[in-house]
Amino acid sequence: MMSFYIHKTTCISPQQTFGDNIDIATLHPSVDNKLYAIEPAYPQFKGNALRRMSKSTRIGAGAALPLLAGAPQPDGIIIGTQVSGMEENGKFLNQIIEYNEDMLTPGSFVQGTPNTISSQIALISNNKNYNLTHVHRGLAFENAVIDVAMLLNENPRSNYLLGGVDEISFNNYTLDTLAGWFKKEDCLNSDMYSSTTDGSLSGEGAAMFIVGNDKQNAMAQLKAITTIHSADVEVIKTRIKKFLEENLADGEKADLLLTGENGDKRSLPFYTSFDSLFDNYTSIARFKHMCGEYPTASSFALWLACNVVSGAVNVPQHMIKRKGEATGFKNILIYNTHKVGQHSCMLVSLPV
Amino acid sequence: MGVISAIGHSVDENHAALVNGKTGIIKGGGNFPSRYSGILPFGEVLIGTEELKTKLGVTEPGVTRTTLLALHAFNEAIADAKLTQNQLTAADTALVGATTVGGMCLTDELYANTHGDAENIEYVKSFDYASVNLYIQTRYGITGVINTMNTACSSSANAIMYGCRLIKSGLANRVIVGGADSLAKFTVNGFNALRILSDEACTPFDQNRKGLNLGEGAAFLVLEKEADVADKKIYAEVSGYGNANDAYHPSSLSPEGDGPYLAMKNALDSAGLKPVDIDFINAHGTGTENNDEVESRAMLRLFNALPDFASTKGFTGHVLGAASAIEAVYSVLNIDRQELYPNLNFKEPISGIGLQPVQAHSVAAIKHVMSNSFGFGGNCTSLIFSKVQ
Repeated sequence: MMSFYIHKTTCISPQQTFGDNIDIATLHPSVDNKLYAIEPAYPQFKGNALRRMSKSTRIGAGAALPLLAGAPQPDGIIIGTQVSGMEENGKFLNQIIEYNEDMLTPGSFVQGTPNTISSQIALISNNKNYNLTHVHRGLAFENAVIDVAMLLNENPRSNYLLGGVDEISFNNYTLDTLAGWFKKEDCLNSDMYSSTTDGSLSGEGAAMFIVGNDKQNAMAQLKAITTIHSADVEVIKTRIKKFLEENLADGEKADLLLTGENGDKRSLPFYTSFDSLFDNYTSIARFKHMCGEYPTASSFALWLACNVVSGAVNVPQHMIKRKGEATGFKNILIYNTHKVGQHSCMLVSLPV
Repeated sequence: MGVISAIGHSVDENHAALVNGKTGIIKGGGNFPSRYSGILPFGEVLIGTEELKTKLGVTEPGVTRTTLLALHAFNEAIADAKLTQNQLTAADTALVGATTVGGMCLTDELYANTHGDAENIEYVKSFDYASVNLYIQTRYGITGVINTMNTACSSSANAIMYGCRLIKSGLANRVIVGGADSLAKFTVNGFNALRILSDEACTPFDQNRKGLNLGEGAAFLVLEKEADVADKKIYAEVSGYGNANDAYHPSSLSPEGDGPYLAMKNALDSAGLKPVDIDFINAHGTGTENNDEVESRAMLRLFNALPDFASTKGFTGHVLGAASAIEAVYSVLNIDRQELYPNLNFKEPISGIGLQPVQAHSVAAIKHVMSNSFGFGGNCTSLIFSKVQ
């Protein structure tokens, strides 16, 4: 039921994932515990428009528009984001305090609403179809995926633009650091998995997908998705086992796990428990050292999984945690948890 | 159903105010410190944040006013629908809520947090939109699908639509849908900077309208499959929904009103109804120059003969992410009580359009009500509620 085919995908991330020369073998380093997106030139946006856009809108629309160029209008635009526009919100909050609620300019207020990404893409591409923004923190992207899967059951012949976007802003970085979600000591992304402290490295990115029910020419299939809310390792383990039994055919195995391990010692037990569900056949790879921790980082993982099953990229050595016996990666299982309480699992396969 | 707004803390209190034409808009602002307190009119919920915490038995740190309003309405809704604790925690019970302010109501606290005042960290975990529903989820141990959406002023209309679709797709058998927003420096200053806040009580669809009043509140509705309802009361059915984007401007609607027109048309199509079947339209009717004119033109474009229509923003103010959920409750009351409520403060039709909204409480035969919500970013959603035969 919760399944669809992915036809095209783009990603603006802290690694070289966008444009013609994708290269994920070279790992770009974090700076001051942050992994900032490598932004392209954005030929689609004219001067003033670009200056007014928040970073999340820039990277979101910037990743989406190449997918829409020369293609039929998608029947809807569905975006997941926790608090895109937070930087703009922050500017507006600062104005309120610093100018004592007087003589404010509305630009940052308007640009600060998270539905700006989906609505800017609609505006630029003149798309008057279904348009929705999911903001459920660490499951914002997963809820967008579920929305699209339902839409494709309701309207089987349609195609949709699906995306996950979040940005590093001064405000959310500071708040999440105060709340203990980012490391206080210096740590490089290449060393993050050996860290034994609380917190991860902050990241950002935008991943966009054109999806539909048509198997022909599809690069990957999202076979199933589940979301789980719990802080209990055993509950998660049981639910994921059930998910695998329901969605992997008899004798079929996951070839590759793509896990959101993030160097935070509090989330490590969930990933260790997840890894333990699989024998030596299955390879285990990690992705957060590439994109950093952010609420919609699972969209980066989905971009990776689509490109790996389709053979567009190889899994570089820096991602591998455990090399398994599997010789090809046809079934990839993505597991991610955000701030310990929100978990998701997605099964991505080569279309057959 | 459950609702808390400027005109009452329960469905019954809201209903009494609607019948009596009693507005909740006052020059208040006692519950959110702002230089506009006492100067601009607001649809304020007249209960203090600490009093709400006590009333609801909330003792944990970091719970915002937005969350408290949501919890208040949520509690009334699940009691009204007689949901048991087992049903609440069942895997087939979903929660879909909407908000545009979320934890951002704590403007000063967020500023203090992000500018190095490490003493004041109670709210650092609740600054986002999801914090509202995550609190309710944790409090009640909800395990099914949980979601939060933000499409500005149409947010909770989308939550209601999404809830219906979860049931139709089999991902849930019952869904608690709604929205919550509290008055905040953040939105008051945003709308003020856009120069669309009126310094008087708003006058939707009036020629001399001066803008909107912001309000606060929350509403939740329990959606269940007809087959599961047993002997419980059915207020109405959600028979249709339509979502479209105006694709015109970040903060105003196109002159042609393509987004509003398409949302209404898609809702009719999804319900399998014709324009003539609609008995009443709960209009978005914010009282701004732009919205009321565009909405009028879009309604005239779709309906040959326009049915009765009214905006309830003159009662509650514009409650942003909760507006559609609160107005869903009012639309359901239109059907359940077979009556219409007035569009307050209307005097003169908009020139060149000439439409007159309903201006008095009246008894009416109501089968199908359309409810409109149009937001920033061109996010437009219309819902249709119908009487169950």
